[in-house]
Order: sequence, then structure tokens, then C-alpha cells
Amino acid sequence: MSAPSPEPVDLKAVVRRAVAALDGTPSDTYPTTSDLTIDEELALHSIGWEPVELVSGVSIVSIPLGWWNWGQGEITAASEAHRHAFANAVTRLHREAARAGGHGVVGVRVEAVVRPTHVEVALVGSAVRPVGAGARPEAEVFLSDLSGRDFTLLSVAGWETVGLAVGSSFVFAPRRSVGTVLGQQTQNVELTNFTEAIYAARETAMARMQDAALALGATGVVGVSIDEGPMSFASHAVGFVAIGTVVRPGPSGHQRVAPMTVVPLDDAVVAFEAHALE
Amino acid sequence: MAPASDLPEAAGRRLAEGSFSSGLSVPDFAACLSMGLEPLRLVQGFCAMQWGAYGGGILGGAMMGQPTPASGGYNEVYQCPHGFVTGEHRAWGQNYEQTWVESAWATGFSNALTRMVEEATALGAHGVVGVLDTETPLAEAGVAEFHLRGTAVRVEGAPAPKGDPWTTFLAGQRLAKVFEAGYAPLGAVATVSSVRVWANCVTEYALEGTGGLFAGGGSVAEVDQVVRAHGVARDLARTRVRAQLHGDALHGAELSVVAREHGSGDLEVQVLLKGNRVRRVAPFSPLPAPTLTVALS
Repeated sequence: MSAPSPEPVDLKAVVRRAVAALDGTPSDTYPTTSDLTIDEELALHSIGWEPVELVSGVSIVSIPLGWWNWGQGEITAASEAHRHAFANAVTRLHREAARAGGHGVVGVRVEAVVRPTHVEVALVGSAVRPVGAGARPEAEVFLSDLSGRDFTLLSVAGWETVGLAVGSSFVFAPRRSVGTVLGQQTQNVELTNFTEAIYAARETAMARMQDAALALGATGVVGVSIDEGPMSFASHAVGFVAIGTVVRPGPSGHQRVAPMTVVPLDDAVVAFEAHALE
Repeated sequence: MAPASDLPEAAGRRLAEGSFSSGLSVPDFAACLSMGLEPLRLVQGFCAMQWGAYGGGILGGAMMGQPTPASGGYNEVYQCPHGFVTGEHRAWGQNYEQTWVESAWATGFSNALTRMVEEATALGAHGVVGVLDTETPLAEAGVAEFHLRGTAVRVEGAPAPKGDPWTTFLAGQRLAKVFEAGYAPLGAVATVSSVRVWANCVTEYALEGTGGLFAGGGSVAEVDQVVRAHGVARDLARTRVRAQLHGDALHGAELSVVAREHGSGDLEVQVLLKGNRVRRVAPFSPLPAPTLTVALS
């Protein structure tokens, strides 16, 4: 079955009309602000949503001195500061979005920096709502780091976006005794203490993210991104942070989307390649 | 505001030449032609600004023992909760808006924009598409140059423009979709807000991690003074951009934040917010629900 051909648009006439209309048309719409691209905005419009306001939430939480220097197991002050900073930034984003009349925030850009003495978290996104809808209570506003396009796709598939879930864990990679270091220097063996510590920390971060998702009444987390690695300012300290968008099926459950299969003719894979003749 | 007709003689000579020029990529150029936008010339505007007033409040304050914020802007005092402790103990702190930084930035940007629009007006253009803006240090320390450039276009078959040409950071396919969605571009808008943080004892200890008795007893705690500065700087930028919209919408906004540390307990939060002012000129007509496809490749 072929898709119906769209009506051809006389773009030149559209532009002429738009430019002519500027001369005498004062604005009669609500002055919205948004960092969505036109593609994202059109995708949202297609499911009956519109951007309302560019919103942001920031938090900076201190980490007392001495936590990164020496120890074993989790660096609890760092994990706690990270959790606290994210929670505060999320609360502020909820508040700004609700005040602007948004029902949710999409395309949330997450900027998180861990420094020796504090954690900085900044969230920026576009508050959105169903076209013309009234305000929603702050507690019911959802957040998502998915793009407007992904939000549209989830919505078409019958899924609701509920919020952002974050889990973090900062740990010390255990130090070995001098004897152990010397003993293992000439053998390529697994360093089980490293494996176990890092394994546990990674699982802890993921578990915290999943716990946050369950607390929001969700069934799962999509688009999870994991940021992990050694901390540049502290030897033997490693950080793990997992962030994703919490989703659940809507009232009508999952809708089969049945995508149409297409074969693009401009695919680089099927383009002519001189080496193929060799 | 830039004085009227202050373009250099070289600009007049270039604009009078016969050949067209454009800063557009080939796909953007092709998209402009398909929209009936005829590229005329690459137009540009410059403004070099003295940039030595950075931290002027603090410098002024250093002589007086404390910073001196300009009157009229955001200003909030953070008093030390402990009373006298030692001579080094920061018994007093303040957040304040650096209005002189904001107004210097606004002057530089608007002068460059006005000059670019002036070039486009001289060409009889309806608009300027694909605007790029840069702000760079120039030649010697303490001089900042604002540079805006874009491609002046004329709308095929439209009567001569009545007012100043519109401007937009968009070009090519994205601009075509803006028109198709029922919007018309009006102007490239941008603003800067700047808030200085002169930390009190609690903030300084929290930022340095020294914690202890004077900053939450060594526990994890939010740094209220700096968080407030970030929030206010963002709010100021948004409010100022809204004032430039005159009821229209801001599309494709870009918010960037720079936090500078000038010294111990001396921070600056600068927020740049820019985007495209657009007006809905055709009734809202949403696209049909999208058709999902899977590409075989």
C-alpha cells in the first residue's frame, strides 16, 4: 500500500503571504519562548502539544573537605551532595514549568559538574502543554530529557512520560597493599577487589535510578545515559551517574505503531564505491 | 543605538557592486531559492567596545573595603550569621547585578545589528537570513568586538519593503519549515545578564569545602547565595528577552551560562539568551499525526 501523496505546497506564495502579513498584523498570541527546533515543535504540534516557556533549575551543593582523600567503600558525602543537587534542581524546574502553565518539560539539557568541594547541577528545557490547556499543579508536571521527537513517538505509542530518574554513586577503588602490588606485578590476573568495588558502585547507581523511577509510579526508564569514570582531582575515586526518563503505559495501554518500511535511495551504503570494482 | 548611516565608505562601494554574495551553504542557498528568497549580498555589522569595566564594582569596592553595585539593578545582601570572628572572616556578602556589563554588551550587540540591518536596507532587502554573531577579543586586551553577519534577501514578487528588514538566525530548510508552520521571522534577539557574587563567610566556606563550624557543621548543604545568583541571572535574561518580543514568540532559544571565578569568594554568573522572534501570521493548523517509518539500509 502506498502512502497518500501530500498536497504540494507553493512555498514561494507562503513566504510572500507571510512577509506581507507582517506589515499589518500585530501579535495576538501568547508570547512563548522555547529552545525547541522547528522540527521538534512541528512534531509536538502533530500530537496537539505546544511549547510555552524556556525554564531552568539550578542547584549547587557543597561537599565538606576531606571526603576524597582516603577511605574505603562509598564516598557518601559526594553521593549525597549529588542526589541533593539533582533533587533541588528538579524541584525548581517543576516550579518554573508549573508557573508558566506547562504540563511538562521536554528536551531537558542536563549539565552536572562534580568538583572537589561542590556539585553543580543545571537543568534547562522547554515547558510544554496540550494546545490551549490550563495550568497543572506543580506535583503533576513531568520532566524528560528526551527530544520533542522522542516524546511524540512515545505518545503515539500510548506511553506517558513521568519524570527524570537519577542515580549516583561515588566510591574509592580499593588500594592494594605493597605486598599485593609486588606480587601481582608479574602476573596478569584479575584484581578482584577493584572489580567488586566498581561492580557494586555501578549496580548501586543503577538501583538508585530504578528506585527513583518506582517512586514516581513508573514501569520503566528509557534513554538511560551513564556517565562514569575516575575523578580527575582525586586518585582512587570513581563516579557513576545514571540518568533516564521514566515512562509508563497510558490509560489505553501500549499502542502498536506498525512503522512503514521504506528503502531510501540515497543511502550511503548503496552508493557507488570505486573500490568495489577492484 | 548606532548613529544613522555610519557605515564606512568601503561598505558602500562593496554593496554597489554587481555580483551577489552570500554566507549560505549550498543546501541553504538552494532552500532560499525554493522559498523565493533571492540572495543579494552578505551583509555585516561591527562594533568594537572597550571592555575594561569588567569587575568595576569590585575594583571600586576594593578601595572602599566592599563592592559597590550600580543602583537600579538586582541587589541582595548576605549578612554573616556569626558576628565578629576574625579579621579574615567574611562578615558580609552581596549579590548584585552588573548593569554596566549588561549595558556594554547590549550597546555592542545592538550597534553591530543596526549596522548590518543598515547595509541590508541600502540593498532594498526584505530580510537577513542565516545571521551569525560572534563576540571576540580584538587586537589588544580590554577590547571586545561584536560582529554580526548574514545574507540579505529579497522576496520574489513582493512589493518593496516599507520598514527595516527582518533578521533571523535561521536559514535553509529550517527557515522554510518556520514559514510552512505559519510563522514569519521578525528579528534575531539576544540579551546578556550578569550577576556578581561577593561571598559571605558561609558561602566561601561551602565553596572551598572547609565546612566546619561556620558552614553547616561539615555536612552536605546547598550554597544558597550562588544558587540564588544563578536563578536571578536566568530570570533577568528571560525577562529582558520577553521585553524585546512585544507579544511575539521566541523560537529556537539558546541559553548559555558562564560562571567565572575572579578570586576566592568572588564569582560572576553571566547568562546569554538569544533566539528568533517570530510571529504567527497564519492560523494554527497542526500537521497530521506522523507516519512512522523504518529505513532498510
